[in-house]
Amino acid sequence: MPQFDSQFFSSLIFWELISFGILVWILYKFAFPPILEALETRERTIRGSIEQAEQNRLAAEQRLQAYEAKLSGATQEAEAIVAAAKAKAQRLLEENEQRLRAESQRIQAETAREIDRERRKALQSIRGEAADMALLVAEKVLARTLSDADHRRLAQEALHAVDANESVD
Amino acid sequence: MEHPLHPFELHTIIPLSLFGLDVSINKAVVMMFLAVGLIGGLMLMARSSGSLVPTKLQSLAEMLVEFIRGMIHETMGPEGMRFFPLIASLFLFILFCNLLGLIPGSYTVTSQLVVTGVFALSVYALSLVVGLKLHGAKFLGILVPPGTPGWLVPLMVPIELISQLARPISLAVRLFANMTAGHVILGVLFGLTISGGLLIGWLPFSFTVALYGLELGIAFIQAYIFTILTCVYMGDAFHLH
Repeated sequence: MPQFDSQFFSSLIFWELISFGILVWILYKFAFPPILEALETRERTIRGSIEQAEQNRLAAEQRLQAYEAKLSGATQEAEAIVAAAKAKAQRLLEENEQRLRAESQRIQAETAREIDRERRKALQSIRGEAADMALLVAEKVLARTLSDADHRRLAQEALHAVDANESVD
Repeated sequence: MEHPLHPFELHTIIPLSLFGLDVSINKAVVMMFLAVGLIGGLMLMARSSGSLVPTKLQSLAEMLVEFIRGMIHETMGPEGMRFFPLIASLFLFILFCNLLGLIPGSYTVTSQLVVTGVFALSVYALSLVVGLKLHGAKFLGILVPPGTPGWLVPLMVPIELISQLARPISLAVRLFANMTAGHVILGVLFGLTISGGLLIGWLPFSFTVALYGLELGIAFIQAYIFTILTCVYMGDAFHLH
């Protein structure tokens, strides 16, 4: 086998030791320290990031709970406000109704009074007219002139008669 | 047809001599330089963009570092990280030598037994040194497995000695044999393709393609096996059973 040709042994061993020595030196001096350090730095960074993320998650959860509590408080408050507003509206409505009812009753009563007054006034005027007409009629029936005092007496009698009639009615 | 072992032949490119020692540059040496240059360049490029969000190359380098770190932690424990640069370099060097050898026309450095042998012996010697330094004479206890009855010790010590000695040999031979065998098979199949012509040559050629994929996997697996066994042997030195 050509590999057992001892002619090349010395140069192979010599250069193997030299080149391997150089390789170890280069890698030991320049390549491995930064790579190992980069690995360790990354490991630390990742671990730190995970811890940070966990802390952030906990903080966010706490905040969420606080917000939820606040939100439920706000909902209750809003419900209370709505209930109060409803009650107030109901009260106003009832007050208004009462007021309107009273007003309408008042107007009714006033109208009734007015009608009564007008009726009395009309009766008064009818009474006067009736007396005059009775006089005229009596005058014509009797065909004689009565004295002024007779007129008055007759008129009074007629009025009494009318009043009596009316009260009978 | 070309001899299947022809691709493993070496020829001096630049003759060099150091204190009477032949240190000529040949194809295998060039491939070692190439591997070192590629690994160094890629790792330095991966490092230069050392940002928090990694680039693709950086991710790859970090994946590799994580992979080897995990291997060391499993076999040696955290204290084994002292040897991280050595073990990571070993893995990368073997992996790149294996992979570069798959480029047609290049040379597979790890198909040289002497190269894998130097690595295996160095690693094994290092594990012995670490063990002796950490545990002193107690380290010799690895030759007697726990629970061995006293009368069996004279038998167990030679057996354990042989198993210990087999460690560097198996480490070296496994890598060398895998790389050599794979390339020999690829060479033979490709030779058949050429001599078979268009009529029948497509059959061995399709095998070549499939085997090439397998060889890519083997390049990774053998680098991994060499590295994990290194870690295991070092781990034995760290923790006596």
